[in-house]
Amino acid sequence: MRFSDPSQYIMDDPDKGIFRVHRDVYTDQDLFEMELKNIFEGTWVYLCHASQVRNPFDFYCTKIGRRSVIVSRDENGELHGFFNTCRHRGAILCQTEMGNTKYHVCNYHGWAYDASGKNIDIKDKAEGCYTEAFDELNHDLIPLPRFDNYQGLIFASLNPDVPTLEEHLGEAKILLDLVAEQSPEGMEVVPGRSDYTYNANWKMQMDNGMDPYHLTSTHTTFMKVVQRRQQGESRNDQVESPDFRDRFKMDAGMYTFKNGHSMIWNDHPKPHTMPFWGMIEDVRKHVGDEKAKWMARSRNITIFPNLQFNDSTSLVLRTYIPHAPNLTEMKVYSFAPVNEPDDLRAIRVRQHEDFFNSSGMATPDDTICYADCHEGYLSYPGDYLQSFERGMATVINGPDEEAKRLGFKPATSLFGNFMDQGETSYHGPYREWARLMRAGHNKDQPLAAE
Amino acid sequence: MSDRDLLAKGEDILSREALYMDMRRWDEWIDLFHKDAVFWAPAWRNDEELTDNVKREISLFYFESRAGIEDRVWRINTKQAPALFPLARTTHIITNSVFDEPPTAETMTLHSAWTCHTYSLRDRSQHTFFGRYEHDLKKFDGKWKITRKKVILMNDYIPAVIDVFCV
Repeated sequence: MRFSDPSQYIMDDPDKGIFRVHRDVYTDQDLFEMELKNIFEGTWVYLCHASQVRNPFDFYCTKIGRRSVIVSRDENGELHGFFNTCRHRGAILCQTEMGNTKYHVCNYHGWAYDASGKNIDIKDKAEGCYTEAFDELNHDLIPLPRFDNYQGLIFASLNPDVPTLEEHLGEAKILLDLVAEQSPEGMEVVPGRSDYTYNANWKMQMDNGMDPYHLTSTHTTFMKVVQRRQQGESRNDQVESPDFRDRFKMDAGMYTFKNGHSMIWNDHPKPHTMPFWGMIEDVRKHVGDEKAKWMARSRNITIFPNLQFNDSTSLVLRTYIPHAPNLTEMKVYSFAPVNEPDDLRAIRVRQHEDFFNSSGMATPDDTICYADCHEGYLSYPGDYLQSFERGMATVINGPDEEAKRLGFKPATSLFGNFMDQGETSYHGPYREWARLMRAGHNKDQPLAAE
Repeated sequence: MSDRDLLAKGEDILSREALYMDMRRWDEWIDLFHKDAVFWAPAWRNDEELTDNVKREISLFYFESRAGIEDRVWRINTKQAPALFPLARTTHIITNSVFDEPPTAETMTLHSAWTCHTYSLRDRSQHTFFGRYEHDLKKFDGKWKITRKKVILMNDYIPAVIDVFCV
């Protein structure tokens, strides 16, 4: 590590118009280990959506950093989170991503647990000549220290000393409401997974998910394909995706929130191309005009550290698992109203495949750029990046008029035109990064409880 | 034509797909497909099931016509897509071709196994995608064309880049 205090990797001096992030934060192995401990195991992280464990006895397996966990719905419909490890010999209980089972029985020595994690059988217990001391042990699956959901989005914290999930989300709850309330019947993860890896740091995805500045350069060919379709040079008429150029004159802005969350937005030039628009009257009735107006805007949401929504070319839910400083696993899903009509769902899945899939025409261009950045950081490690200061001359503290109209209070607001393509959206997440890393570094400070 | 002759004809078309893709003879590759040909690679719903409702579930690729792969080839040819330039070299191996249903003189469905070795010029890494194909072939004016290509990708944990020429 270059600096003893990890917060020194972030230069944060808004009075002087300075916000810089050191290149090492994306490459340094020691910092990566500290991130696992202080961020992924230190605060609330996203696990999965309730629709992926819809029915009693459904389970879903994922990882918090390197630690395998299970989300399970019991027979009464209640959700539980456990470490994926048997109390007896420690083998993992779930080897498959998702499924439905009344009992989790360990392959190795047959200990069995119900869907609420309660131990219901220690094989041949009666003949086991166990001592009283053994009987006094708790044999149930080890619950995740904190486990909760907001709007069906399931989170956990391995650190028990954190605020409630609602407090952690704070003013950013409205961002998730704008996603979750798009249908009176609720939202669901669309079946069909797109899991992929890229050879760069997890924060490259976090950053890219709130970066309007790369669209017109990284995604030039996607933009041109869309134009070719509109002009009839391509015969492909199965999907209508928005032309980025239409955004250039639109109002746009970005917000940061306490605890690391952020959102960027712009007015959607062609909201009728969003599948959501097909149910706009129902939605207005359900949530009111102001919320419906925000739902029709193009929005990229980051819930620190590992949940993102991008609601533009259809609605995508992204989460990521850090494996190494230069290796990140992505899980990407289309997110949609439950019981969405067939014609709207078809638009949604085609738009998702066109842009967001790892097999689409945009995402691989992003992930390859992340890998190019990683190589570049190693090429000249001893410096701060110049990619965090666009928009700093006009960013304000507190809510702007747009935020006030809907009634939420971001930490900072930036309002203007799409072409501003600001970079102040990063400040919230990196302030939280610095706070958690510093708190972990100074053991006497309480972690993630400000 | 006997079934054996039809199988040989079908295998010839599959091998030509591999030849044209690997040698980047894109126009000839596209010409193997009928203009209304469906190109479909379902995604996995979970560890055991593929998605099967293209209207309500995600596919890795679903093109209702040949225009879908034409868009992708156009994108490759621009050399402006970061993920596609430098373009990974590929070698396809297609084998075990078999009929599951009896062919006719005008139509057949060929089932086969495939692997595609990719070599990334960026980091000199290699990867092998593999799976199974189903090709619907139909005779138009004496010439066989692909009217449907279904790709099952067995290893769907994708190292950053995959496109129509990698499956």
